[in-house]
Parts: sequence; C-alpha cells; structure tokens
Amino acid sequence: MNWLSWLSDFFSDPDHRSGPDSIVHRISEHLVFCGEALLFAALIAVPLGLLIGYTGRGVTIVTGIAGFARALPTLGLVTLAVLLGRVDDTAVLIPLVALAAPPLLVAAVEGVRGTDPDVRDAARGIGLTHPQVLWQVCLPSAAPTLLAGFRTATVQVIATATVAAYVGLGGLGRYVFDGLATRKYAVTAGGAVLVVLLAIGAQLFFALLARYALPPGVRAQRRTR
Amino acid sequence: MIRFDGAGKRHPDGTIAVEGLDLDVPTGRITVLVGPSGCGKTTLLRMVNRMVEPTSGRVLLDGTDVAELEPAKLRRGIGYVIQQAGLFPHRKVIDNIATVPYLLGWDRKKARARAAELLELVGLAPETGKRYPFQLSGGQQQRVGVARALAADPPVLLMDEPFSAVDPVVRAGLQDELLRLQSELHKTVLFVTHDIEEAVRLGDQVVVLRGQGRIAQLADPHTLLTAPADDDVAAFLGRDRGLRGLGLRAASAVTVRPVDDGLRYGGWELALDDERRPIGWIDRDAVAAELHPAAGYRPDTDTLRTALDAAVLSPAGVAVALDADGRATGTASREAVLTALAAPGGATGGTDSETDGETDGATGGATGDEPDSTDRATGQTGGATGGR
Repeated sequence: MNWLSWLSDFFSDPDHRSGPDSIVHRISEHLVFCGEALLFAALIAVPLGLLIGYTGRGVTIVTGIAGFARALPTLGLVTLAVLLGRVDDTAVLIPLVALAAPPLLVAAVEGVRGTDPDVRDAARGIGLTHPQVLWQVCLPSAAPTLLAGFRTATVQVIATATVAAYVGLGGLGRYVFDGLATRKYAVTAGGAVLVVLLAIGAQLFFALLARYALPPGVRAQRRTR
Repeated sequence: MIRFDGAGKRHPDGTIAVEGLDLDVPTGRITVLVGPSGCGKTTLLRMVNRMVEPTSGRVLLDGTDVAELEPAKLRRGIGYVIQQAGLFPHRKVIDNIATVPYLLGWDRKKARARAAELLELVGLAPETGKRYPFQLSGGQQQRVGVARALAADPPVLLMDEPFSAVDPVVRAGLQDELLRLQSELHKTVLFVTHDIEEAVRLGDQVVVLRGQGRIAQLADPHTLLTAPADDDVAAFLGRDRGLRGLGLRAASAVTVRPVDDGLRYGGWELALDDERRPIGWIDRDAVAAELHPAAGYRPDTDTLRTALDAAVLSPAGVAVALDADGRATGTASREAVLTALAAPGGATGGTDSETDGETDGATGGATGDEPDSTDRATGQTGGATGGR
C-alpha cells in the first residue's frame, strides 16, 4: 500500500462523505476552532500591541513575552487546560490563543513603530489628537505588517488545532489521532493532507488580501523599502 | 502677531536648546529664523504650535499664551509645513490636503472642493489630487504640504525648512511660489531655514540666530547684507553679500535711454529686428559684420543684480531693457547702472528705511499692546481659531 492508495481510500470512504465524520464537517469544526482562537487572540493582542507600539512603552517586555510564549508546548497546555477544567472548547482555545497572540502582538507593535516619524510629526502638528494619529495614520501604516502577523498566526493555528482531537474534540485532528489509534494509516494520511491544504489555502488568502485590500500608498511604500 | 516672551527650552538632561528669547513676528509678514544647526530655530518654531513646550517664558499668539489653548485645536488654526512634507502615504493627495477641514468637521464635499482650490493655488494639476504621495516628485509633495497647511485658511503659517530637501532649481521655483502666494494671502509666516540665501530671498524680516536661540541680528534683508551686526554675522552671510544685496533692489531704478535716442555706444551698435527684438551688438570697426550677444533685463520684474550682470556681459558694456515680449525699450550703460547702485534705495531698496520703521514700530507697538489678562482669556480662542 502506498500513500496514493491511502488517499484514495480515505477520500472514497462513505463515512467521510457525509455525517459527523465527513470531511466537510471536520473542516468546518477545524475552521471554527481556528477562527475563535484568532478572534480572541486578535482582541487581546492587537489593541495592546497598537498601544504599546504607539507609546513606545513596554516594547522590550513585549519582545520577551513573545519569545517566551513561542516556547510554550502546545500539547502540554492543552493537557493542562483539560486537567484544570474539563474537556470542552476552552481547553483547546487557551493554547491556540496563546499560540496566535504573540505574532499578532509583535506585528502590531512593529507595524505602529514603523510609521514614518515625519508623518507622525506632521499629523500631530496639523492638529490630530493622539487617538486620531493612531487610528488614521499609524493603523493604515501598520496594516501590511499586521496582515503578515495574521498570516503567520493563522497558519500556525490551523496546523496546531489538530491537537484538539487529542483531548477528544473534533476537527481534522480527529482523522489523524483516530487513524493512529485504529492503525488505519490511510485516515491519518488523509487528515494530514487536509491540514496542509487548509494551511496553504490560508497563506493564499492572506497573500491575496495583502495584494488587493491594502491602500495603494501603503503597499507602494512597502515595496520600495 | 506671534510674540516670544522670554521663551526658553531646557531639556530634562540640562542642555539648553533656547536660553530665553524675545521676538515679535509681525502679522502678515514673513519672518525667517536662520542659523546653523543646533541654534534652536526649530525648537522656537515648534513652541508656537506647542509641539515643544517652553520651560521658561511664554509664546503669545495675538496676545494669548498658547499654553492656555488645547494643543489639537490650536494646531488646526496654524498651518504647519515640515521638511519631508510628511504626507499621509495611504491617502490620496486631495484627501491629504483636506485633512484639517475633515478634522474641523466640514462635510466631505465641501472639504474636497476646498482641497481642489488649493491644488490649483499651489500650481498643481487637478489630476494630481487623485494620486498618492509616493507618485509625486519631492517638489510636488512639498507643494501638497503647503496646500495642506493652507486648507483651513489659517492666519499663521509655520514652515520648518520646507524646501531643504529638494534640488536647487525646484527650490527656487517653490520660493517664488511662496512669495506669490504670500502676496495674495498675507499670512503671518514664521519660516525656519539654515540657508541664508533663502532667508534673504523670502524674509521681510530676517532673524539670525546663534547658539541657544540668541539673536545675532534682526533686520530686513537689505540691512542684513549691507550692514551685518558683527564679524560672525558677516561670515555667516558669506561672500559677495554686496552683490547679493543688489538682488533685493529693483532694476527699475536704472535710468534707461530710450531706443529712439539712438543705439550707438562708441564703436558698438545694437541691432534690432523689425519687432524691435535685440539681435546682437555689432562692432562697427570690425571688417566682418559679426554679431555679439546682447544681454537684457526686465526693468519691471528683474533686480539691479540682473541689470548689472547684463551690462557686464555685454561687449559694449550696455544692458538692454526689455518688455514682457522681449522687445527692447531702451538701453542702460554700465555707468547708468552704477549710478542707480550709488543711489540710496531703488524701488525695493526704497523700502529699506520703511522696513526699518515697521520693524521698530512692531516692537514698540507690541509693548504698548499688551492685553490685560481678562482680555486675553476671551480674545485668545478667537485669535487662535478665528479667521477660518
């Protein structure tokens, strides 16, 4: 048996076509986990990062925390969350949020700090208040960096969300862990391929977003730098 | 009027940027702060819109201490132009210009209409409005910077080395443009530069600063060039200041010999075409009829320096006075130009004594003009935000 026939087995299995173990269902579970994790991470990290980047206070602390958080073992965190709480979404969300927040935080800080100081000076000088400078000048200027941060965070979260299955929850990790447990390697391989495809899809999505959704002035500025 | 009243700035580390300066910046005129880097000129300028807070003394805007005004509000009433333009990269030019009107709550249509007006005023094509700052040349960006500063029609304009980052030809164009705008708008302009040439060209009043914001000399450009206060100022002014001073005096001071009174000067004769445009000088003693270029000047727009230059360039020693269409209206010999040089004044030169008087008057008047504190409280907001 080679991996190609594993994959054809996996995709032709009727259980994977419809029902609770269907590919569509598992993917949507996976995406919901990831989406929630990213949302919470963004709600915490982006405003904090913008503020830290704008004031310039606490930048060294942020860098330290971000480095530390990257070193956290995700599987360990999931297990810990389950041991401390119970088996539910939160157990998986905590480590995923912890994984997604550092790149977002760093991106927000660096993005704002990257604003041309002359532009900031001019903005203040013609009468923008601090919140206006942050919102109207620094945020657009930080947009490309912030988007890159989201891209990194999303791909990491999609890949890591497979561990949800480890504590008995859904998502594409289900295939991987169930396949391993029942020695159906076709299922494991299929699940892994799907995770990879999803991550690549996310990469593409953000590449397109950076290409078409950013204001032209910001885009061009990035190109020349 | 902007008034520095013992305004000083000492940094937290103890270094002194400005020791404490008294200076009046008269309404409707261009005052240039000029000096070497580190002389505190930018610090002084930034005290006016509270980008820098003085640590001693105060800055008064039409009698109101700016420290009593809310910074953002104060700044929306003061035009601000900086060296690198500082345009918002993510906004189209038209929206960059309309920034302050938007902040003031104008509706979008009105703000954009005003921005379009300004685009034209600073000499940019209407299409420029749809472009992004990175698509413009440095000179064009600077024009947009000026337009943005003027958008809400503030009575006061602060310009911090606005033309330093562009090449000399573009800079000269921008300087001319500023003078043209000023002749229409009569703003109270405080202009900072390290370029004495620019200072002399633009200023109604030039303030030469040395370290820590101390005034080395305050004078109109002509006085500055002809009578520097001391050797330091003379050194800062550089060489040829006498000649450069001629650039401030109008060529109309030269007595022109009308064309009909003859075109012969010794062995030379000026040849004109049917339209009376000069063709060249002919050496009447030469065997071959060879034409030598005839240098000309415009009495109505050029300066004495150009007239002298034309006379020096001409083989006959005679400058040709031209009208707007390039037709000769007369000739001016070196002697005629020199006579005009010797005369005290000239058209712009004539304002010498006048300017002196005004500067004195402004200083004197201001002291008597000190509003009492209650007046200041009510008058201040009007002063800073009014006129929009």
